[in-house]
Amino acid sequence: MTKVRIVMALAAIVAAYGLYLAIAAPPEAVQRTYARILHIHAPSAWLAFLAFFVTAFGSIMWRVRRKPVWDRLAASSAEIGVLFTGLALVTGMIWGKPVWGVYFDWADARMASTALMFLVYLGYLALRRATPDPQLRAARASILGIVAVVQVPLVYFSVNLVRTLHQTPTIRPGGSPIHPAMLQALMVNLAAFTLIYIALLMGRMVVGRLEEEAASAFEPVAGAAVVPPRLNGAVDV
Amino acid sequence: MTTHALEIARHDLLVERRAKETLTVVVPFGLAALIALPMAIGIDLPLISRIGPAAYWSTSLLFGMQIAWRNTVADTGPNRDLITLLGVSPVSRFWGRAIASAVLLVAFMFLLGVAAILLFSPQIPLTPWMLLIVLLFATGLAIVATLAADITSGLSGRSPLASVLVVPLALPLLVGAAQAVESLSRGSGILPWLLMLAAVEIVLAVAGTLAAKPLEEAAR
Amino acid sequence: MTPVLTLEKIEVRIGNVPLVSSASCSVESGQCLGIAGPNGSGKTTLLRVMATLLKPSSGRGSILGAALETAGFELVRPRIGLSSHQPALSDHLTLRENLEFVARITGHGAREVGEALETVGLAGAADRLAIHCSHGMRKRADLARLFLTRPDLLLLDEPHAGLDSSATPLVTVLVRHTTSKGGGAVIVSHDPTTMVDLADEHMTLRTGILSR
Repeated sequence: MTKVRIVMALAAIVAAYGLYLAIAAPPEAVQRTYARILHIHAPSAWLAFLAFFVTAFGSIMWRVRRKPVWDRLAASSAEIGVLFTGLALVTGMIWGKPVWGVYFDWADARMASTALMFLVYLGYLALRRATPDPQLRAARASILGIVAVVQVPLVYFSVNLVRTLHQTPTIRPGGSPIHPAMLQALMVNLAAFTLIYIALLMGRMVVGRLEEEAASAFEPVAGAAVVPPRLNGAVDV
Repeated sequence: MTTHALEIARHDLLVERRAKETLTVVVPFGLAALIALPMAIGIDLPLISRIGPAAYWSTSLLFGMQIAWRNTVADTGPNRDLITLLGVSPVSRFWGRAIASAVLLVAFMFLLGVAAILLFSPQIPLTPWMLLIVLLFATGLAIVATLAADITSGLSGRSPLASVLVVPLALPLLVGAAQAVESLSRGSGILPWLLMLAAVEIVLAVAGTLAAKPLEEAAR
Repeated sequence: MTPVLTLEKIEVRIGNVPLVSSASCSVESGQCLGIAGPNGSGKTTLLRVMATLLKPSSGRGSILGAALETAGFELVRPRIGLSSHQPALSDHLTLRENLEFVARITGHGAREVGEALETVGLAGAADRLAIHCSHGMRKRADLARLFLTRPDLLLLDEPHAGLDSSATPLVTVLVRHTTSKGGGAVIVSHDPTTMVDLADEHMTLRTGILSR
């Protein structure tokens, strides 16, 4: 846990610096102060994608090595990924309403893919929760973890194709050149969020290991609790 | 392997013909959903006509996947053991179920399509391309739903959990099919959408085939 | 002669709960092993390991010459015949259709299906839907499947449960058919008296431990 604390402390320092830069950066030409939410939204989305690729990596490694640590990595990363995905969606909607007039821009392939990703990994976590046996849980979740990471780019591609075939590219935030100060703030916040992800991942894996150890504690044989019925006060029938 | 898959499919379709679960439960359920939507919209007939295709594809996805959850020969405990011990490979079992589900889905979507045309009066051309789009959608949905059924096999709360898995994974099929029909309506080319549907099918087919044996091994 | 089945220190756990904690046995060619045990002792679990349907958590074994630890057991599965508590029948098919499905996969013909149904006394009910049959009839149909496929390793879980007195000898005939051609049989039951005349060797399974 000491390592986790060190990484978290580092993340806090970098995040504080990133917050300062985000506030100090000049307001965006069109969106003014609303654009500052980019410094939470973009890193959250980036971390969400990273987290799910780590889940897929952990799933592949479990299939190859069959060691519990890889399943733990996949599961821990998926949990954190869902958190960051939710954050990306919420901040995207907070940003979208005053800027584009709608909470959810269906023409934005990234938003649509992010929403899909959120659903897929909620399903992944639901599958894990519904499977009591650790070996079966790891086996099934690993397959879903690998399949899911293939589907997300497919959805991105399909929605992008809709946008490409139906409308000419519109000016989007980030489509125009970004001010160096804003870019610097964005990069620092990206680094901060990455450190937060690493700290959360390390901590969650420690907790996961402790949970596994607790669950594998000695249990009596299943049939040991079955005894002959007591009828009319007799002990044995 | 092909023979075994076809036998499984034949068996499943025979069971469905007797049990009529798709015909008596899923079709009316889908129809009810189709009727509920324009009731919620009100009397805006042009809007109802405009959203008709979207309502059809959404209902096909959300209710069609229930067809894959039906009890089949490869599903229940003793029957699943029997299929395994008869030497039917997991891949054959997967494809047998998927083929049967695809056939039932095509029938379901045909009936639903007739209802959608009557209820929504959508402005879409009824060309042979529509049949191809329906076929691609139905087979893709059958594959992903069968895969989700295998992943959640034996778990409590299996049906809602499998639905949670299927919907996001099947969304590219929904987008592809809906946009292909819209392109047909506008008179523009549907090739990009057909290619996209075919690509998604191939990805799902490969995923289902590769996952069949590990899932069966995991269930041991 | 190579044993039909060997198990060495087999342990089966679901999560951290052991269902079978130590099971070692062997079944020679032409032999029938009877395993008795109370409810919850792990009989069905052990039988499923023997049928290669359940992977043991530890231990070694070989079934019809194929090691449990390798993937070779997939080749021997068609030679294993399992009859569980619940007969493996599709409710919405007739007894005949259920057997014909098995026959088409295993390469048997309609005539052999008819003979199997005749053997178990279900020829007159062959065209009745399985869901409309009693448990005893469904049990007989399950045995008919085994008469049809004639496995080299017969695994029977409570085979007499649900059978009337006229049908009980079917189990004996099935076991004798299998062992006389060099195969092996394993019967598990909570009632050891049902296996007295049938089994060549008797073992007891109690709280997951198999012993003589």
